[in-house]
Amino acid sequence: MLELQGVTMRFGGLKALDEVSFRVEPDRIVGLIGPNGAGKTTVFNLISRFYHPSSGSIRFNGIELTHLSAHEIIGKGIARTFQNLGLFPYLTVMDNLLLGQHCRVRTPVLLQALHLPGARHEDRQMRVRAGQLLEQVGLAQLAPAYVAGLPYGVQKIIEFCRALVARPRLLLLDEPAAGLTSAETEAMAGFIRGARDQFGVTVLLIEHDMSLVMKLCERVIVMDFGQVIAEGTPAQIQHDPQVIEAYLGRPAEEAPHA
Amino acid sequence: MEILPQLIVSGLAAGSLYALMALGMILIFKTTDVVNFAHGDMAMISSFVALTLMRGYHQPYWLAVLAAIAMGFVLGALADLILRPARNAPILTLLIATLGISLMLSALGGHFFGYQTVSFPYALVGKPFVIAGVILTRHNALALGVAAALGLGLFALLKYTSVGTAMRAMAQNRLAAQLMGVNVRRVSTLSWGLGAALGAVAGVLIAPVVFLDLNTMITVLIKAFAAAVLGGFTSLLGAVVGGLLLGVLENLVGGYLSTQLQTTFVFLLIIVMLAIRPRGLLGAPVAGRRA
Amino acid sequence: MRARWPWVLLLVALLALGPQFLKSYQVYLLSLAAVYALAALGLNLLTGYAGQISLGHAGFLAIGGYSAALLQVKLAWPLWASLPAAGLLTALLGLVLVIPALRLSEIYLAIATLGFGVAVEQLLPQWAWTGGHQGFSIPRPELFGLALNSDLAFYYLILAVGLALVWIAANAVRAPLGRAFVAIRDNELAAQALGISLARTKSYAFLLSAFYTGIAGALYANLVGYLNVSTFNLGLSILLLSMIAVGGLASIPGSLLGAAFLGLLPQVLSGFSAWVPQFIYGAALLLVVIFMPYGIWGFLLQTVGRGRGLMRSARRLFPGPRAESGSTGGDDHA
Repeated sequence: MLELQGVTMRFGGLKALDEVSFRVEPDRIVGLIGPNGAGKTTVFNLISRFYHPSSGSIRFNGIELTHLSAHEIIGKGIARTFQNLGLFPYLTVMDNLLLGQHCRVRTPVLLQALHLPGARHEDRQMRVRAGQLLEQVGLAQLAPAYVAGLPYGVQKIIEFCRALVARPRLLLLDEPAAGLTSAETEAMAGFIRGARDQFGVTVLLIEHDMSLVMKLCERVIVMDFGQVIAEGTPAQIQHDPQVIEAYLGRPAEEAPHA
Repeated sequence: MEILPQLIVSGLAAGSLYALMALGMILIFKTTDVVNFAHGDMAMISSFVALTLMRGYHQPYWLAVLAAIAMGFVLGALADLILRPARNAPILTLLIATLGISLMLSALGGHFFGYQTVSFPYALVGKPFVIAGVILTRHNALALGVAAALGLGLFALLKYTSVGTAMRAMAQNRLAAQLMGVNVRRVSTLSWGLGAALGAVAGVLIAPVVFLDLNTMITVLIKAFAAAVLGGFTSLLGAVVGGLLLGVLENLVGGYLSTQLQTTFVFLLIIVMLAIRPRGLLGAPVAGRRA
Repeated sequence: MRARWPWVLLLVALLALGPQFLKSYQVYLLSLAAVYALAALGLNLLTGYAGQISLGHAGFLAIGGYSAALLQVKLAWPLWASLPAAGLLTALLGLVLVIPALRLSEIYLAIATLGFGVAVEQLLPQWAWTGGHQGFSIPRPELFGLALNSDLAFYYLILAVGLALVWIAANAVRAPLGRAFVAIRDNELAAQALGISLARTKSYAFLLSAFYTGIAGALYANLVGYLNVSTFNLGLSILLLSMIAVGGLASIPGSLLGAAFLGLLPQVLSGFSAWVPQFIYGAALLLVVIFMPYGIWGFLLQTVGRGRGLMRSARRLFPGPRAESGSTGGDDHA
C-alpha cells in the first residue's frame, strides 16, 4: 500500500535520510522506531509533502506522492497526527473534527455563505459523523469544549479522532503515546487496534514506548542515522544485534578504552 | 558624473539619520515583539525638551541633549510600564496601543510646545569638510559617526554583556528566559527606555535638517521603517546598513530621476525587497514553511 | 450569533426605526459609521479570521470608491450595477496580494500590504480619469427610480446592503470556509494535512475581504459625494485596524462595534478644544486595549461568561519573525 524506494533527504550538508526503503502492507499496524534523530518524523513529513525528497520515490496505492502538494495528501487517503499536537487549540473539539472532514466537503465555496439546505444538510451529517466517533472513544460530552482547556491525554485522543474521521486508508501516527500515562496508553492502543479492525485503516506509527510497540505492531521498521537498519516482527527485531547496538551501544568488552 | 560622489556622501549622511531612528525601533521590537508606533513622537517630545532648554532656559547644547536622552528613556520606560497589563494581548492589539500613545504624545506636544515649525540648532557648525571635491558638513559627519558608533555599540551590548544576552534570550523565548533567571520585566523596561533614548538622539540630530514640529519625526519614522525592512527587521546592524543604503539610493533617485519619485521609490523598494529577500540584507531567515 | 435571534431582530428594528427620530446630520454620521463597519468587517475576515495582516486596506476602499464613481459618472451605470461591479473589481485586485501572502509571513506580509496601500494612494492620482489631486465628485444617484438624495433614504440603502453582507459573512464564518480561515491562521501545516490548500484559502480570504471593502468604498463614494485620494491614506488603514482590534478580532459583532465606537468617538469629542480630543482619543485606544485585550466584544462575552474561542487565538496574530516553529516536531534531523 505504501512504498518508499531509495528515499534520500538532504538538508543542506546534512543527510537526514539515506536510501530509505520499506513497504507497509494493507490492514497492518506497523511501527517505525529508532533513537532520536533517526529520521522518523522526517519520513512522515516527506509523506505529508512538507518536504521534497532529494531523491527516491514514495508510492501510495500506485500513486507517486512526490508529485503532489501537501494539501492533496489527505484526498488520497492518508491522514496524520503530529508529534506536538496539531489541533487548533482555540476551536472546539467539534470544530476540529469538522475540519478533519474538510476534504469531504462537497458544497462549493461560493455557495457556502448562503445557508442553503444542501450546505446545512452536509453540515449536519458531518456533525453526526464526528459525534459518533467521539461517542466511541467516550468523549461525546466534550464536543462543544475548546481544545485549549483540555488535558493533554484527552487532546491526544481528539487528534487521533480528527485524523480518523475522514475515513483514511492510511493513518500516520507520530508518537501517539507520548506524554501519556500507562492507563492512557492502554486506551490509545485499544483505539488504534479498534480503528484498524473496525474501519480497515492501515496504521504506521512512530513510537518510543517499546511495550506499546511490541504489543500493538505486527511489523516493526527500525531506523538509525537516517537508514533502515532492521525490519521484522517485534520478536525478531528485539534480538537483532544492530537494533540493540543502536539503542544501547556495544557491550563494554568491545568498547575502546578511554 | 561629478555629482555621484556628492550624492553618495549626502545620501550616507541622510541615511545615517534613518539608521539612528531605526535602531531604537528595532531594539524594542527585537526584545518585546512590539512595533512602537509612538517612536517618532517620543523623539519629537525629547527634541522639543532639548530645544526648550536651549532657547527658553539658555542651557548649553550638551546639557540639552542629555536632557533629551533622559526624556526619551523615561518616555520609553513609561510606555513599557503602561503596556504591561496588556502583555498577553494579541500583538496586533498592542500595536494599536502604541498608536494610542502616539496620539496622546502628539496632542501633549501640541499643547506644551505649540503647533508651529521651528528650527533646531546643529550639533556642530563650522567649515564643512571637503574631501576630493565632496562636501561633508560637520553635522553630517557627526551623524554618520554617531550612527556607526551606536550601531556597533548596541551590537556589542547585545552580544557581549549579560544585559544584552538577557535581551536576546527574552526575544527568543520569554518563558525560558524567565526560568533562567532573567527579570523579563526589568529587561523589557530597559529595552524600551534604551530604544526611545536612541530615538531621542536621532531626533536631536535630525531636527536641524528637517526642522522640528509635531509631524516631521513621523515622516522620518516611515523611512526608518523602510530602512529596517531593507536591512532586516531583526538585525540592528541591518538597521544601520539599511538606513545608509536607503539614504544613498534615495539620493541617487532624487539626483538622477526626480525628487517627486522619491517616496514612490522608497515603497517600491520595500515591495521588491520583500519579493526577493524578505529577511532583508542581514536579517534572520524568515520563518519559512515548506510545501 | 446562533440562537440570539431575538436580539438580532431587536437590533435591526432599532437600526431601521431609530433614525426616523434623528437629525439629518446624525443620520449621515450613522451612515458613515455603517460604511466603516462594512470595511472593518472585510478587514476582520482577512486579518482576524484568516490571520493575514493588512496594513493597506484603505487601498481597497479607494479602489471600490473610484470604480463605482467612474462607472456611474463616466459610463452612466446605474447604482445597482456599479455597486457589485465595484466590489468585484476590488476583489480581483485583492488577488494581487495573495502572491506575497503565500511567500511572506506575518510582519513581512504586513509590510507588503502597507506598500500596496501606499502604491494605490500614489498611483490613483496619476490617472487623469480620477481627477488627479483635486478630487472627483459624484452626484447622489437614484435606485430603480427612487431618489436617494436625502440622508435618510441613502441610510436605508446602506442598511439593506449592510445587513445582507453581514448575514453572508455570518454564514461564511460558520461554514467550512470560515473554519479553513482559522485553520490556516493557527497552524498552516496541520491545515494542509487536513486538505486545506493555502493558496486557495488565502485567495478566498483576500477576495472576500476585498469585495466587502470595495462595496464599502463604493457606498462611501456615493454617500459623501466626493472622492479625494488623500482620504485613503495609511492613517485610514490604521484606523480600520484599530476598529477591529478595539472591537474584537475574529468577530463579526466586534467589527461592527469597533467601527461604531471609533467612527463616532470623534463626534463625541468635538465639544472639546485644541489638544484635548486627540488626547482623549489616543487614551481611549490605549485603555480599551489594556483593559479589553480581546476587544469590546471579547470583554462583553467574558462578562456574560461565554467562551473565548476564535478571538483568543488571535493572540498569535502578528508575532515576530522568529515565531514558534511548526508543530511537525521535525527534531529528528537536529
